[in-house]
Amino acid sequence: MTEDAKEKRLARMLSSCTADLLCELGAKPQSIDEVRRPRTSGEHIAAFSGFGGNGFRGSYTLLAPSPLLSRLHPLPPTVDPRDLTDWACELVNQSVGRFRNRLLSYGVDMILSVPQSVLAEELRLSSSLQPARSPSVFVIDGMVLEGWLELELNPVFRLPESPLNQEELALKEGSLVLF
Amino acid sequence: MTTKKKVLIIDDSRTVRQQIALTLISAGYQVVEAGDGKEGLAALVEHADVSVVLCDLNMPCMNGFEFLKSFKSGGAHPGVSVVMLTTDGSPDLVAQAKRAGAKGWIVKPFQPELLLAAVRRLSGEPE
Repeated sequence: MTEDAKEKRLARMLSSCTADLLCELGAKPQSIDEVRRPRTSGEHIAAFSGFGGNGFRGSYTLLAPSPLLSRLHPLPPTVDPRDLTDWACELVNQSVGRFRNRLLSYGVDMILSVPQSVLAEELRLSSSLQPARSPSVFVIDGMVLEGWLELELNPVFRLPESPLNQEELALKEGSLVLF
Repeated sequence: MTTKKKVLIIDDSRTVRQQIALTLISAGYQVVEAGDGKEGLAALVEHADVSVVLCDLNMPCMNGFEFLKSFKSGGAHPGVSVVMLTTDGSPDLVAQAKRAGAKGWIVKPFQPELLLAAVRRLSGEPE
């Protein structure tokens, strides 16, 4: 499998993790082509988490307007921007956490950084490593959430075609184990 | 009237702390919050009557494993149960937490009824 094919598989996997999380939060995300996305203005929040493992490293950034993050927030409506930046960090943390759990079944482990966020007017992102790469774009209630994946793979990185044995499977989201 | 037990929530996300606190308070528990492992250790000094700790893994300053190691090596709270609450579902990390003395592992996003069941059992209350 070429590096490009591996990157595309990983991007699809991570995008799917974000979509699953959004659905669990009660949203109905519509995945669209980046070129067709509606342009939105106003206050936006970007939150990112870095990650790395054997032969790969990268980061994932979620970008969304504040009203969309407020819409997705699990607690009663709030206007405190600190709550929304904090929630954006948790969203990216849980998206990448799911990604890591999925990759474990392929024998790929990784560690995550503590998420960080930024709030700004007219915030726009671009890919520094892969200028041609488009983000995953989800439309929720007419507002747009973008997921930007940056990846660096080196030749030692292996991504099997299918999951490995069941023993490597991670605990599912929402599960509880008492010892 | 009996007073419900006290739970310490350690998580760098204010939103997650509030989510957990709402779940526990609605079931009658008292709640103390901390933003990282260091704050969690300090909170345990101030609140010696905590019976259960719910602790995130990936945090700044002092992460969940560092907290667990420091907490266990201190030996000051032998009756307190620690449950890790994290996005990570790695079997290796779950086993590592068990070896380090944790009493449970919850993968985020948590289910309120499961979280309450765990707290009830570990604080010795009827389920």
